[in-house]
Formats: sequence, C-alpha cells, structure tokens
Amino acid sequence: MIKLIKNYWFRRIVGSLVVLLVVLILNFFLFRIMPGDPVSTIIDPHFSPQAKQHLRAQFGLDLPLYQQFYLYVKSLVTFNFGQSFLSQKPVWEELRTRIPNTVFLLGTAFMLSALLGIWLGVKAAQKRGSALEKVVLLAGSISFSFPSFFVQLVLLMIFGWAIPIFPIRGSLSVPPPSGMAALWDFLWHMTLPIFSLVLLGFGSWAIYVRNLMIKTFSEDYILLARAKGLPENKILWGHAFRASLPPIVTMFLLALPGILSGAVITETVFSLHGVGKFLLDSILGHDYPAAGAAFYLLAIITIICNLTADFAYGLVDPRIRLGRKME
Amino acid sequence: MKRILRRFSFWLLIGFILAGIWGPKCFKSSAETQVASPFSMPLWVKKDTSPTMSLALEPKREHVQFEWNWEAPPNITIWGTAKFEKETSASLILENPNGETILLAQNEGNTFLAVDVDGRDMSFKMGLGLSPFDDPMKELFPTKGRYTIKLWPPDLKIKSGAINIRIEGSRWGLLGTDQRGRDVFHLFLLGIRISLLVGISATLLATLLGVSVGLVAGYAGGLVDTVLMRIVDVLLAIPGLPILMVLAGIWGKGLWQLVVILSIFSWMGTARTIRSLTLSLRESTFVEGLRALGAKPSYIMFRHLLPESLPILLANIALGVPSAILAEAGLSFLGLSDPRIISWGRMLNEAHGFGAFTTGAWWLILPPGIGISLICLAFLDLGRTLEEMADPRLKGGANK
Amino acid sequence: MIHIQRLSVSYKTERGQVPALKNINLSIPKGTATAIVGESGSGKSTLLHSIMRLLPPEAELSGKIMFEDMDITSMDDAALRSFRWRKCSLVLQGAMSSFNPVLSIGKQIAETVAYHLHLSSKDSYKRAEELLEMVGLPTFFSKRFPHELSGGQKQRAAIAMALACSPPCILADEPTTALDVITQAEIVWLLKEITRKNNMTLCMVTHDLPLALSVCDRIAVMHRGEIVEIQKPSGILNNPTHPHTKKLVKSIRSIEERGNPK
Repeated sequence: MIKLIKNYWFRRIVGSLVVLLVVLILNFFLFRIMPGDPVSTIIDPHFSPQAKQHLRAQFGLDLPLYQQFYLYVKSLVTFNFGQSFLSQKPVWEELRTRIPNTVFLLGTAFMLSALLGIWLGVKAAQKRGSALEKVVLLAGSISFSFPSFFVQLVLLMIFGWAIPIFPIRGSLSVPPPSGMAALWDFLWHMTLPIFSLVLLGFGSWAIYVRNLMIKTFSEDYILLARAKGLPENKILWGHAFRASLPPIVTMFLLALPGILSGAVITETVFSLHGVGKFLLDSILGHDYPAAGAAFYLLAIITIICNLTADFAYGLVDPRIRLGRKME
Repeated sequence: MKRILRRFSFWLLIGFILAGIWGPKCFKSSAETQVASPFSMPLWVKKDTSPTMSLALEPKREHVQFEWNWEAPPNITIWGTAKFEKETSASLILENPNGETILLAQNEGNTFLAVDVDGRDMSFKMGLGLSPFDDPMKELFPTKGRYTIKLWPPDLKIKSGAINIRIEGSRWGLLGTDQRGRDVFHLFLLGIRISLLVGISATLLATLLGVSVGLVAGYAGGLVDTVLMRIVDVLLAIPGLPILMVLAGIWGKGLWQLVVILSIFSWMGTARTIRSLTLSLRESTFVEGLRALGAKPSYIMFRHLLPESLPILLANIALGVPSAILAEAGLSFLGLSDPRIISWGRMLNEAHGFGAFTTGAWWLILPPGIGISLICLAFLDLGRTLEEMADPRLKGGANK
Repeated sequence: MIHIQRLSVSYKTERGQVPALKNINLSIPKGTATAIVGESGSGKSTLLHSIMRLLPPEAELSGKIMFEDMDITSMDDAALRSFRWRKCSLVLQGAMSSFNPVLSIGKQIAETVAYHLHLSSKDSYKRAEELLEMVGLPTFFSKRFPHELSGGQKQRAAIAMALACSPPCILADEPTTALDVITQAEIVWLLKEITRKNNMTLCMVTHDLPLALSVCDRIAVMHRGEIVEIQKPSGILNNPTHPHTKKLVKSIRSIEERGNPK
C-alpha cells in the first residue's frame, strides 16, 4: 500500500518536472528563434565587429548550443537571470519587488472569488429555481463572456472618474507614505483590482459548484442522510458538499493558470507594480532576458500551484489518499 | 434546426455578421480619416453643447443653410476648390441671422475658387479685422438662429469640385470620435470583422488539430495515446496568456500569426473529448462488427467515428469561439497586435492608453466592450443549445 | 404500528400529473415482517419513501399515514427529524451508493448516533463499532471507506447503520439487489434475525417473490400503484386471488419445475 501511495505522488512530481523541462526548452528556443539574435536589438549597427563579438561573448552566444542550454538552465535554476536590456539592472532585482504584489493580488482575489462562488453555488443548488440561482447563472455567463479589461475599465470609470473614491493607477500613492499608512494606502490601491477579479471570477465557480451539487443531490447517500433525520445544514455541507469537494479541488488546479493571465491584464489596466505588467513591458520593449525570466517565473508559480492542488486533492479524497485513483 | 432558429442569439449573430460585412462599406471615407475633433461625444447626448457640422458647396448646391442653436463653436475649417464655367470673381460669404454678411474667402477673377481656411489662422483673423489674440468665432457666430454660407455673385454655378466646411463642436455621429478624431461607429463596425474572423478561424484550426490528435490517440491507443495525452497535459499546465504574449511578441503581430498562435494553445480540450468519445465508440459493438467485416481503421474513423461525434464537435466549436475572441481581444488590448488592424481590443487599448476612463469618455469603452461581450454571449448560448441537442440529458438538468 | 389510509401520490411532470400510488390502504402490525412485492414501476419504492416522507418536492401526497399514534403526513421539520431513524430507519437498495464515498463507515454511523442520542464523539464511535460487530463485521471496519468494502459488507454496514438508534421499525428497499445469490440469502437472514431478536417491525420491498415468501409473515402484492392482495405466504402460494398474483406465483412455479424435473 505504501508503495502505491509513493507511486501516485512520485508520478505527480515527475509530471511537474516534465512540464518544467518543457517550459525551460520552450523558453530557451523561443528567445533564440526570433528574428536576429538576442543581442541584435541592443547592438547598434555602427558597432565595430570587435564590439559585437564582445557583446556576444558577454551573453554567452558564441558558445555551442548545448553549452548555451546548460548555462541557461543553470542560470534559471539559480535565479540568476542576467541584466535587463531596458533598465540595465539585474532582472532578479526587478522581479523580486514585484512578486509579493502579484501573489497578494492573485491570492486574495482567487480565494475570495472561490469562497464566494462556492457558497453561492451550494445555495443555488439547494434552492433550485430561486432568484439566487438565476443570479448565479447570470454571473456565470458574465464571467465566461465579458472581457476582464472591459469590466475593469468600466469600474475605473465609475469609481475613478464618476464617483472618484478609488485611485486610478498604481500600487502606492506618489510619494509613498510610510509605516502603517503605507499598508492602508496599498490596500486602498488594491481594492478595485481585487474587487474586479472577484466580480469576474465568482460566477464560473458558482456555476461549476451548482452543477456538481445538483448531481450529488441525486445520489442515494443524500437520500439516506435525509432519512437519517440529520439537520439540513449537515446534509448540505457535511455530506453533499463534502462529497463534491474533490472535483472542486481539481477545479483549483485547472483555474490557476487562467488566473495568472488575469494578473497580466489587471496589472496593465490598473498600472500595478507586478510580474504581469513587467512581462508585458519587457515584451513590448524587446527586453528578452527580462521577458524570459518573467515567463519562467509565472510558469513556476503555475507548476507549484498545480502540484499543491494535487496534494490537496489527495487530502480530501480517500480513494486518492490511499494511492488508488478510480476513474 | 428549428430550435436554433428560435434563439435570439442566432439572429444577433447573423446581425453582427451582416453589419461586419456591409457596415463599413456604407462609409465613403476610410476609417482612418479625421471626421471631427478628437474625443467628440455622440450626437445624442448633452444636446446643449455644440455639435460638429460638416457641410459642402457642390455643383447644383451653391448655398447651404443650417440652424445654429448653441454657443459659438471652438473652430471652423474650410477647404477645397470649386471650379466655375467661366472666369469670374467669386467670394464665399457667411450670412448670420441678423442679416449681416461676412466675407470668408474670395478669388481674383479666376475660373476657380480655392479655399484653405482655419479659424485659428492669423491671416484669417486679420482678414476679419481682428487682432491675433481675439476669438474670431464670436464674430462669426454672434447669435443663435439660421445661418447661410453662399457664393457671391448669386448666379454663380459650380461646375466641379467642392468646398468643404466643418464647424467643429464637441459632439459627432452615432458614437462620437476617438483621440484621433476617427468615427467610433465606423471603427466598431470594422472590429466585428476581426473578432469574427480570428475567433472562428482560430477555433476551426484548433478543432481540426484537436480532432486529429483525439482520433489518433483514441483509436491507436498504447504508446501513441500515452505520448499524445502527456503532451496535452503539459500544454494545459503552461500559463495561457503569458505564452501567447511571448509568442505574439516574438513571432510578429499579424492577423494570421495570431490565429495560428491562438489555435496552438486551444486544441487540448477538443482532443480530450474526441479521444474519450473514440475510446467508448471503439469498444461499441457496431465498430467491432465493422472490424470483423474487414473495414480499415481509417474507414471506420472517418465514416463512422467522426459523424458520430459531429454534434458534440459543433457545440465544441461554438463554445470555443468566445475564448478565442477573448484571447484575441486580450492580446490586442495589451498592445500585442498589429496597430494598423482595427479591432475591438485595439480600440480598448487606445482608450486605456489615452486615459478615456479619466475623462469619462465612455463612448470609447462601452461600444467595443459590449460588442465583445455580446458576440461571446451569442456564441455561448448557441453552443449550449447545440450541446443540448446533441445530448438531451443536459436539458433535463437545466430546467427541472 | 403503521396504518396507511387512502394514500395517493402523484408526480408533477412536463406532461401533467402522473399517478404513482392510487388509494393505498395498508396496516403493518407491530413485530411482523411484511414484504411488498411487485415489478419495477409498480410504486413500491414510492410507498416506502412516503412513510419516511422522502418524496421529492414535485410529488403530491394525499391521505394519511399513522405511525403508532403520530400522523406522519402532518409533521413539521423538527418532528420529522426526530421521527426519522429514531422511530423508523431505512436500508436502501444497491448498497454501493448508500454510503458517502468520502467519509469513513464509522463516521457515517457515528454522526447519526451522536445526533439522535446526544452522545459524545468518542462514545458514538464506540457504539458504531458495537453495531458493526452486531452485523458480523470486524470493528476496524469503522475506519474503512466505502470503496474498500465488498457489496455484501457494505449492505451489512448499512444494516448496522439502520440499527444505530434501535428503532422499533426498519424499512428495507430492495436490500438484496446487486448482490450475488449467497450474499442475498445471508443479508436477508441477518435482517430477519436481528428484527426478530429485538422485536422490531420489518417492512421490505422486493421484486423477488421467493425471497419474500421465505422470510416474511405477510405479503402485499402491488400492481400499477395499487395493492391488489395481502395474504400470508401460504395463502399467496396456494390460493392467490388476484390475476396478477396468480401470474407471479405461476412464474416461480415454472422455474421450480424446470429446476426439479420429476
């Protein structure tokens, strides 16, 4: 039995490492098949051949491809991403200040929208045909068909221009306040971005959970739980919701890459100091070391989240916990 | 089929397609031309502010009359050349409601009258007898009422050419203008084309890829299946928009590159669906029977498995279009599309870049945003209807 | 013990009202084992669910169901909760799905005990283990999950759960379907033994007439939503009155004749 458990987790971890390897290879070749070579964007055509050669050597581009790849993997694994073309500062320095902001934005928005969506979904499944269910269905359609940047722009127009109670750009005021005031200022700047992400996100959660719960409600063990005379809340949360939990955790797994896309757009719309905006600026500015590093970082966050979700799934589903997956 | 025809979303979509094809053709000028001053509001709001008026003196139309019921406009521009039948002296005159006339331009006994006047020009102000710091508009438009612009002498006939007059205000057209004075309604209609084109072709391409992979994986099984499904897993685990951004940034921003990039990262769902369908069909007795009859795998796949999965496939396509449209709009919004291609995402990108939300220029934000949302909703609704038709069990769950 | 008077149930569907039970009158005396026999769709499960008030919201019920001196049809939610399981418990068909797959067997039995008998969590787990022993399962099964049990073991656990509050009456809805023949017999005898020992009333729904004949004191035959005949097993076997009962009896006769050619 222990062997089986190991087997399942072992396979999950190996799977994640394969994804990581693919991302590394993609990253390596994507930034090398672009027109010209990486230095051509910063090389002035008037540079002397010696100067060009020197620059190439500086970026390691004169080495054979396999050696380049080795050096590249080594640098990424040690988080040594080199210098940004644009700011001439180490990329890691630039990224480091941005990671907490992005993690806070995404984490808070994701948790809030998931919690709200799950709660509404459960309630909608319990009261079929109620007004609440109609609201859930509508919110679901909105989150599947309204572009996030549009909704965010409209929110900005309402709360930044028509009723100016929230800031229209940035993660902090200029000049930034200090001490506790800085925290409040940060939260004040984050309110609208997080609100917009929750507004767009909870609908799909609610629909998903509602459909799952409706299916679960038709199971015999729910009928039996009712026959056992258990109170309604215990049937709803202790049995029906508990039984639907494993697929909900899977949904976490599938939704995480999507929310990273949300980071890029949200940070762009609200001009926030985050990894997503950094990726966009680097791509638009042809700053390939920075773009590569930001993409690599986003991919790593996704992979870690996926793996965590896998472990969490194991915790809520006894069939997985014991190392046997029934499909 | 009848059920589809009864859906409002179907007719909405038809409307969008027709508007996308014929709408832009109703405009004489290209969408890039400046039609009014930048950030003009739509005509139908704030009726107490002055609108932009475009007038022209043409053959058989030697004078124009218009009602002016607002404050003096910020500017007037007059340009163009009118040719006459014979050599004559001609002048362009503005007559205000009080019956006073003001000379706007004149020639010195020629066969034509060429005008190029901007209300802010120094020479124009001097010609009116004003100092360079005065506002000539107060002089030209002293009161509300009926104004006439005409040629003098009155019997003059224009043979060819035209003199264009634009009185600039802060309102224009159905949906106003953007930061470059372009007609937002025209841009909106052009945006339909890009959304539909990219959305549908990317989805079709992705479906083609997904169906091929799914059929091969499901039918071949074994190692081929395992390898293909691992590829699907890996692709699903890569964050979508970031990789699209990187690819769009590196590979160029053309329309077809965008279609290819979008489809490369959206075929996985279809592949999984088709694979599981193929797997269940492969085990079914009728396929077993066909195999016993000696049918080749390719024959079974294309003559039996594919038609069998067609309804689900159609629903999948309809449900896939919204995500392709949203992805295209997202990339354009981030500035990763060709700036020469007018799309809804690009319109929102420019609206964001020029701070439309800080000035309350809602007519730059709402039309493209609502356009995207409506098209996506229409496709979603259509997809769900098709899905219910393919699998009637879904319907029972939806309205029980 | 249970008196059903003029009970009718119909379901609201898109095509209008569909009757499931028509004017049922049935009395189940205390301490007896009654079988309700009929083919699928005859309304026997609906009858059982009406006694527990488990019908879906689209079902419409009229008539009266008395349990001892309580009117079940007019109970409010609180009364219903204390009636269910403490007075009358249920064993479902297809043991596969009568346990929640993500909770351990012990937990599912113990939560019922804890709720109805107001026991502490530790005591209720102890009680769950005793119950499992009572139905012939080892006590460590309380830590097991439903998917780790065989069909027969699950059905035993389901019976253990039904005994949780020692109710005076147990209803069983096709307790033996989806089990192999040997396990079927074991389960039915277990039910019979336990109810007899504890002087409980048993009401079992089944489509298996031979099984019903061998364990029950009285047989009620259902056909198209109506009870067409109630008799002792010997009566059903020897002089069935209703044509449908005759057909049923004839069908087992013919199987027996084929089985024992003489």
